[in-house]
This record gives sequence, structure tokens and C-alpha cells, in this order.
Amino acid sequence: MDVEGEDAAKVIHVKFVTKLDSPFEAPVRPVVIPSNVTRLGLSTIVNSLLTLENTEPFDFLIDGELIRMSLGEFLLAKGISAERTLEIEYIRAVTPRKEENPSLHDDWVSAVDGSSPRFILTGCCDGLGRLWSSSGSCTHVLEGHSGAISSVAFVNSNGAETVTVATASKDRTLRLFKVDTAESVDSTTRVRAYKILRGHKASVQSVVAQKSGDMVCSSSWDSTISLWHTNDSASEGESFAVKKRKGNNQAEEFQSEGEAETTFVGHTQCVSSVVWPEHDVIYSASWDHSVRRWDVPTGKDSLNLFCGKALNTLDVGGEGSALVAAGGSDPILRVWDPRKPGTSAPVFQFSSHSSWISACKWHKSSWFHLLSASYDGKIMLWDLRTAWPLSIIDTHKDKVLSADWWKGESVVSGGADSNLRISSGISIC
Amino acid sequence: MKKRETANKDQMRETKSKSKNVSVSVKSQKQKAVVKEVKPVEKEVKSLKEEDLLLDSGTDSDYDGDSLSGSLNSDDFDSDIFDSEDDGSQRETEDGDRESSKDEVHGIEGSDDNDDEGEQVDSENGEEDGSGDEGSEQDEVAEESDSSEDEVAPRNTVGDVPLEWYKDEKHIGYDITGKKITKKEKQDKLDSFLATMDDSKNWRKIYDEYNDEEVELTKEESKLIRRMLKGEAPHADFDPYTPYVDWFKWDDAIHPLSSAPEPKRRFIPSKWEAKKVVKYVRAIRKGLIKFDKPEEEPNVYLLWGDDSTSDQKSKHLTYIPPPKLKLPGHEESYNPSLEYIPTEEEKASYELMYEEDRPNFIPTSLSVMVNVFVHRFASLRSIPAYPNALKESFNRCLDLYLCPRVRKKRINIDPESLKPKLPSRKDLRPYPNSCYLEYKGHTGAVTSISTECSGQWIASGSTDGSVRLWEVETGRCLKIWQFDEAVKCVAWNPLSDFPILAVAMGRDLVILNTELGTDEEQKNIKDLLQLGDLPEPKAAVAAIVSWLPDELYGGIKIRHFKNISNIDWHRKGDYLSTVMASGETRGVVIHQISKKVTTKPYKIRGLPVSAVFHPSRSYLFIATKKNVRVYNLLTVDEPVKKLETGMREISSMAIHPGGDNLIVGSKEGKMCWFDMDLSSKPYKTLKNHPKDITNVAYHRSYPLFASSSEDSTAYVFHGKVFNDLNENPLIVPLEILRGHSSSNGGGVLDCKFHPRQPWLFTAGADSIIKLYCH
Repeated sequence: MDVEGEDAAKVIHVKFVTKLDSPFEAPVRPVVIPSNVTRLGLSTIVNSLLTLENTEPFDFLIDGELIRMSLGEFLLAKGISAERTLEIEYIRAVTPRKEENPSLHDDWVSAVDGSSPRFILTGCCDGLGRLWSSSGSCTHVLEGHSGAISSVAFVNSNGAETVTVATASKDRTLRLFKVDTAESVDSTTRVRAYKILRGHKASVQSVVAQKSGDMVCSSSWDSTISLWHTNDSASEGESFAVKKRKGNNQAEEFQSEGEAETTFVGHTQCVSSVVWPEHDVIYSASWDHSVRRWDVPTGKDSLNLFCGKALNTLDVGGEGSALVAAGGSDPILRVWDPRKPGTSAPVFQFSSHSSWISACKWHKSSWFHLLSASYDGKIMLWDLRTAWPLSIIDTHKDKVLSADWWKGESVVSGGADSNLRISSGISIC
Repeated sequence: MKKRETANKDQMRETKSKSKNVSVSVKSQKQKAVVKEVKPVEKEVKSLKEEDLLLDSGTDSDYDGDSLSGSLNSDDFDSDIFDSEDDGSQRETEDGDRESSKDEVHGIEGSDDNDDEGEQVDSENGEEDGSGDEGSEQDEVAEESDSSEDEVAPRNTVGDVPLEWYKDEKHIGYDITGKKITKKEKQDKLDSFLATMDDSKNWRKIYDEYNDEEVELTKEESKLIRRMLKGEAPHADFDPYTPYVDWFKWDDAIHPLSSAPEPKRRFIPSKWEAKKVVKYVRAIRKGLIKFDKPEEEPNVYLLWGDDSTSDQKSKHLTYIPPPKLKLPGHEESYNPSLEYIPTEEEKASYELMYEEDRPNFIPTSLSVMVNVFVHRFASLRSIPAYPNALKESFNRCLDLYLCPRVRKKRINIDPESLKPKLPSRKDLRPYPNSCYLEYKGHTGAVTSISTECSGQWIASGSTDGSVRLWEVETGRCLKIWQFDEAVKCVAWNPLSDFPILAVAMGRDLVILNTELGTDEEQKNIKDLLQLGDLPEPKAAVAAIVSWLPDELYGGIKIRHFKNISNIDWHRKGDYLSTVMASGETRGVVIHQISKKVTTKPYKIRGLPVSAVFHPSRSYLFIATKKNVRVYNLLTVDEPVKKLETGMREISSMAIHPGGDNLIVGSKEGKMCWFDMDLSSKPYKTLKNHPKDITNVAYHRSYPLFASSSEDSTAYVFHGKVFNDLNENPLIVPLEILRGHSSSNGGGVLDCKFHPRQPWLFTAGADSIIKLYCH
């Protein structure tokens, strides 16, 4: 058999290593494999070596780069000698293994927050915010907005009894809700805001809470960024308006109104997204094609990255929690490293999407992984170590408007098909 | 002088005497014939003689003018000159005769003299009469010619005294014996005149004062005189140009002929030579002088060569080489190779073809043998006559004389190089180029879109009667207003704090509250849209519009008398212009929303198509079918300016935010850019669309403009306007935006730029609105 003989001639001595625990511990002895095996081939080899009960897809790294072609081509492209014994690290493939049942909304799901492992918070274009338990049932409905909700955020999700959430809406207000988690899970409870934050002159596009939960930051179409206090005590709220809400069957409620603590002015167009990764630092992305970093105490922008495109979304994370990922009015997800001096060119560009990018989120624990959602209906999982998406989730039938990581191993996303979808089982080591 | 004359006369006399002898032997008949010929010549000689004498008298101090005057007849002199000139030809013939028969002439003259002259001569002749033969005479003549004239003694005996001494006397002097010599009786003028008339020889007579006698000049003498008058040597035999014979022997000379020192010029180079040399050198350099003889052209030439390239013929401007005959090939052969003979199938297919389409590869011998199969002839001898010879030579003649007389110059230029140098598209970024967002929801063709001033919302109107409000960012339809009629036009108020929408459908213009602003803004809008007490409209206006409340959505409805085709807000957001295409002279009205007043319409010439407010000043641009007129809003009805588009039918118009430039789209797919500072003619006309242009638009801040067309495309252009007045706008076509599908003959019905981003919204007849991003 000549052909086999030729194939056999191009063999590579490899040794598989891993950081995974049992039962994925690596076999010790090196193996000889043909050079034309791809990721699938490697995965089957490892699976057969490990003798797993359920086959497990793996991803393979050589010198910190993911293999996305045949082994021989990869070595050729990277200029790695095939003579010596190659060390291939395998990790569990980052791909959702399970698709949960979608949770249907009444309108487009425009915002989702998965920062709390217990709940998923969604905002809907019908003006209602919803809190979903991990079991997939809607426990609370946050009502009060007269316009579509554009952004939601957990302000304090760690409280034992109550969880504080903030919602931003097109009706130019933000609302803060306190949700009692101790209530029964069976029925849906409707919650009213305890505090209404007024001050923006146009739609509020994004809201984000400080880590401590004392303040929230919002950005608006009127190109301003405002900081608000979250506490409902009347001590500092000078406009301590007590309003009598039109009577449902519930008892009368007190709603306080708050005004902006600080307003950052600098952007010239709609500020579409803000993040508050550290105590004193706020990042913002705007339609004026810039990403800015604000110093909270002084209110000055200390960094101004020019992108050239209108930006819709922004997240900060990755290595040292310093990389800025942003997407906007083109299909390219860009990642900047602000620590890199003298340049404002993005360090990574991912361009597999085919339409506007509506959301991007870094994984909380990994330095390499981030997701992006796009109007083309796809959510892509990215690893900085490769230029191709690790995995594409295309369960949405329409535009994906928002997406987030949940519990470190799931992706929650809301879209124009009015569904909240959860893709779970993503193993990120 | 005097001596010479006398000598001449002596000589003359002798010749006469000799000639007389000769004349005896000549026949009389011949004499007479010759005499007639000679006569005029003699006259001339006489005149010459007289002239000569005149000259002499002038120069010679010895002569007294008066003494001569008597003998001269000035009148005759003049007339004779003319006569002589007339007879020039005769003289020549006479000369010829003379040379041939010299003797005869002498004889004739002699006989003439004989008749006329006085006794003295006769006597002399008589004395010599008996003396010898012709030969001796010849010798004597030769002798006399040699003899010096000076030796002849004067015949008069008065002595060498001045004649004036006896001027008034009757005698002329005294002879040896002391007796007076009486003067010859002088003829008076009348006698001399009569003598002249009678005697044709009289003109030759000269009065010799000194000897007191009349002398008649011989023919020889007259010739002599004539030659002298011409400045020639007196004797005909004398050659003044005889080659010089250098008798001196230079070889033996020891000493130079001149003792003068060698002149300097012999040592220094000659300037003239130098100049000449320079002249030659220059001529050589210029190529005027060529040393090498041009090589002679070989006498052979290429029989079938291309003579169009030959230098000789191409020198002429108009030379057109005749079309070439085809070179003889195998098909001409009477005995072609076997492979050139067509097969049966080829022949059949050849026959089926039209004559023009027939290829040439098949041997002509096929066609030679009209509809007969090809033959190979064993020998040249067996070839029959060529049947097409006459036809082909006729065709050749046709080719030659029907050939175009105009030389067409084909220029080999790379067409790419003729394109104007435009900046690269990459440098003109950003501009919309790809569609990422679609706004779906309408069920009919979207006729009009309008962007809110902040760029967060767009409104669209459709033929399904609905007006929709969309969020730009997400593509979410926020609001729907449903009407009964197809919406023609929608327009956002340009003020950010008055988010109201003007919607035109049918004859109605509806002002809608979008309910987007803050509470305070909403309150203002509600106040604005309240129709309180309407001011009493003028009669002219009332016939056109009426203000009504809109029950359906709580706005204002302005009902017009004709269908509305176009609306435009003034930049201050209070005034609104509406155009009624069929309204003719009342086709454009302006509404003031705050006062609920409609102003008097302009008088429009032609059918109005579109009306646009100037972005910064109080002007209104009204486009009729062919022209655009600019009206001042504050003053008179007459247009301030008229822009001539040169287009068949204007469909749309947009004004640059700077206010000095205007684009006009037409139904034939042309778009004109007007620079109003430049001229009233289009600065540039762009012909891109194969079908009607439906709308044109400028971007508010980016140097972009766009046109949408019924061919389902939208074009994006870079249109930079410079602040420097010296620089003309730069127009670069950037992108063709495709994506809309055609439905019901409509393509893209409207295009609008995002007010802040370099994005373009296009509304299609396929009921989709697309957003093209950069």
C-alpha cells in the first residue's frame, strides 16, 4: 500500500499534556500520529487514549495557539520543526453542549445580565424587566418604564434577601428595583421601582453598577454619562418626592427620585455603552467613534481611543482586566490594549460576523475568552489565541440584541425573536 | 575732329567712285529693288549724323552754334528717328544683303550719288573712270584704310583762320591769288525743306562749313557713326575682348617688378576667408552641405511590399495608399496540394453559406469553376479562362475609387489614461458602502423617509398608508400611524425639541406628534398643535388651503386643493413649504405652524416639482420641470436667480448645507451639480443612472451626496466644497449601493443621509428600508 506508506512517512511524534484534572489526565507516553490529522482527529485520538465513557471534544494548543487546520499545515505555517517530539496541550473544547429551553418574552429582549449566578436579568422592549431563576422560570417582573428597556444591570446581587437591580429605558429614566428573593418561586411577582433616576434628556442607552453597589453609571443618547447613587434613603435625595401610584390592588408605595451625582460631558454623540470595571475607572463607547476612559473622582477622560466606526458595545476584561473589546456599526470586533503605548490600533480584530455587533462580553475568569453577539443572529465565542471563532451559537432566529456569560459556563442571550436563550455546558478551564 | 571728318569724306568719295565703276556692271533692275529697301536706313543714319554733330558742337569750343544751326533741320531730325525705328527689320535684311553682295551695294550707292550729287564728284569719278579693274580697286581701298587721315591736305584755300571772321561776309576767305572765295549761296529753309521732300537722300547730306560744301555720307560712314553712338568700337572687325597675350617673360626676372614692400595683408589671415569658412562650417553643421553623396537607391523594389510606408509617397499629406490586393496563395494555384482541396462536406456547407460569410480558405478555384467541383489541372495549359476576371477587376476599381478620401487617424491611447485623475476611494472614507440593517414592516412601497435631527429615529411613509417610526440603532419599529391614503412624503421637524412629523398624503398635510420628547417638550408640542382661533385667511389663500384639526391622531390637518408632491421644513422649524405638482401657478405655498397661517403662494411659471429652503438664508428654491428658480422669501415675487439645468424633467433637488451648491436629479437619470457662485449653468452633470432619479440628498456634515434611482440602486458621491472660492467642488463617484429589488417598476424611491454618521438610508419599492454603513 503505497499511499499508506507515504502517509506513514509523514508522522509526528507528539506528547499530549493537559492541565485538566481527572478523568482527563494526560497519558504519559508519546504517540506517533500522521501529520494530516486535524482537530477532529486529534480529539478522537485523545478520546481513545483516555478511554472516556462519553466522548469529549477537545481543543489543542501548540505553543499557546489553537490548532484550526491540519497538524502538518499548522507546523508549516508556524515554522515548527516536525522532527522533535511535539507537546500538544489539550483543553476541553469551548462549545455549548446543551441548549436550554428558551424563555419567551412579549417583545424584543434588548438587555440581559448574567452576572448573578442565581438569576438572569432581562430587559424587554415592552418596558418590563424580568428576573429569571436558574430553573428557567420568571420570578419577578420589574415594571414602571414607559419606554423600551435598553439596558439592565445587577447593582447588588449578593444580598441574602434582596437583590438590587437597575434598568435603563428609552423613556429617559433609570429605575432601581429591590427584589425580594425570599419570595416564593412559584408565582411571578410584580415589582415597582424604589427609585427613579431622572435627568437624561434622551434615551438612556446603558447602565452599569459599581462593584460595591453604591452607585450606578448610565449613558444616554444625549451624549452624557451620569453617575447616580443607589441608596433609597431620603437623607440625601433632595427631591424627595413621594408619589402615590395609581392603585393596583397593592398597597401604596413610595418612590423616590434621584438626580445625577456627576455628569461626564465629552462625547459628542450618543454614548452607547459604559462599563465600570474598577472603583475609579469608567470606560465608555460612543457613536462618535471613540472609546474613552473616565477618571471617576475628577471626571476627566484619561484615554481616548478613536475607532472610526460608531460603537454599540464595550467591555473590559481579559489579561489583567485591561483589554478593551468593542463592537459597533460594522462586523468587526476589535480589542485594544490601552497599556500599549503610542498606538491606538486594535491588537485583535475578529471579523467573522456579517452585521453590526450588538454585544460583547469578556469571560469573567478567563483571560482569553469573550463572546460577541451580532445582528446577523449569531453569538460567537472567541479565544484571543486564534482568529477563528471557537464556537458559533446561531439559535436565534433574528437579531441578537444582548448576550452575557452566566455562571461561567453558559451564555445567555436575548434577541429580536423575543426569546431569552441559554446555551450551557461551555467548559472554560 | 574736323580733320577726321574731312578724311572720312575723302574716303567716302573714293569708295563712291569705285562703286560707281562697279555699278556699271550691275543690272539696273536689281538696283532699284535694293534702293527701296535701303532708303529708311539711310534716313536714320542721317539723323544720327545730325545728332552726332550736335554733340560735337556742344563740346567743341571751336564751333559756333549759330553757324551750324542753319544746316540742321530739327523737325526732320525728330521725325526721322521714329521712322528709322520702324524700319528696324528692313535694316537687318539689308545688312544680310550687304554681306552677301557687298560690291553690288557699293555700286548702287554710287549710282544714287551719281544722280543727286553736284558736278565736282562727277568730275573726279570721270578722271578715274578709265583706271583698271576690280582687283586694283580692292587694293586701293585697303591702302586708304591704312593711311592716316591727317595726311590729307585741306582743300580749301582760306587758310587756317577762324570762320567767324567771315561770318557776315559774302566770301569765305581768299585764295592763293588773293581773290575772294565766295560763299556758296545758302539755301533758305523752304528750299532745304523742299529738297528734303524731293530727295530721299537729302538727310545724308551735311554741310561742311569749312570747305563750304555739302557732303553726303556713305553708308559705311553712317554705320560707323551708329556704332560709335552705341559706344562700340567704330570698326566692326575690332574685337575688344581679344585674349591677352603676355609677351613679357617672367622667368628670367631676377628683380621684382615693384620695389614696394610686401603688404601686410599677405601675412595676416584673411577676414573674408574666415567668414567664408565660418559660413561653410555652419552650413555643414546644419546639414545644408553634405559631403557624402546620398547612396543611390537600388533599382529593385518589393513587388508586394507595403508602399504605404515608403517615404516618397507618405510625404504628401493626402496620399492614401490603395487597398492591397491579396497575395496569391494556395487557392490561386491551378494545382493545389491535396489538403487544400475541400471535401464534399465542406463544399456542401460552403454552398449553403451566404456569399459574404464564405471563408477564404477554400480555394478560389472552387468558385472559379462556378458550382463545379474543384479541379486540379495537370498543366497550366489546360486552365480555362477565369470567369470572374471582369467582375474582380471591376470590384478592384470600385475599391480604388470608393475608398474614403478622408484619412482617419487612429490614435493608440490607453483609455485608462484619459480618465480624469480622481483621488482614491480609500482616501475619501468614510462613506456608506455596505448594508447591515434593514427596517422591515411596511407592506407597500416605501415612498419617503426622513431622519430625526439627532439621528436616533427615522420616519417612513409608504403606499400602504402607514407612517412608521423606527429606531435607527436596532431597527425596531416604534410607532405606526395608519392613514387611508398612500403617504407621499414625510418630514421631521428640524428642531430637536419639537419632534413632530409632517406627513403628506393625497391632498392632506398632517402634522403628527411623535410623542418622543420630554414632558416639557410634549407640552409645547401639544400647545403648538392646538388649533385655536384660526386667523381669517385671505381669499386667495382660502381657495388653496384650509386648516383642520386631525381627529385621528390629534394633530393638524392642512387640506390643499391639489395633491401634494413634496414638502420641506424651514430650518427654524416653523415654516413648511408644500408643493402641488398640478397646482400650476399656485403650486407652492408656505405654512407657518405657530400662527397657523398659509402665506400667499408664489407665482410659478411651469409645473413646480420641488421646493427647498436655503439652509441659512431666506431664500426658497423652486424647481419646475426644467429650471430652478431662487426666490427671496422677504421681498418680491420675482425670482432672484434662475438656474438652467438643461434637463428634460427635474425630479428632485437638494441643497448643500453650505447653501452655495445644489444638486438636481432628473427623470432621465442625470444629476446636475450647481455651484451658485460659479454660474447659472450646471458645474457638472453626472449621468449614472439608466432610469429616473427619484431623489438626491446631501449629507449634513460629511462631504457626501447620494442619488437614488428607479434602477434599484443608489449612488454615493464624494462632493467636497472648499471654503476657498478659487477651488471648484471636487466630485468623485464612490459607491453603487445595490440590494433593493425592483417591484412595480419602482426601485429606490428615497434616500436620506444619517444626520451625524456617514450612513445612508434608502427606501425601496420592495417595502424595505436599508441602512448602508461605512
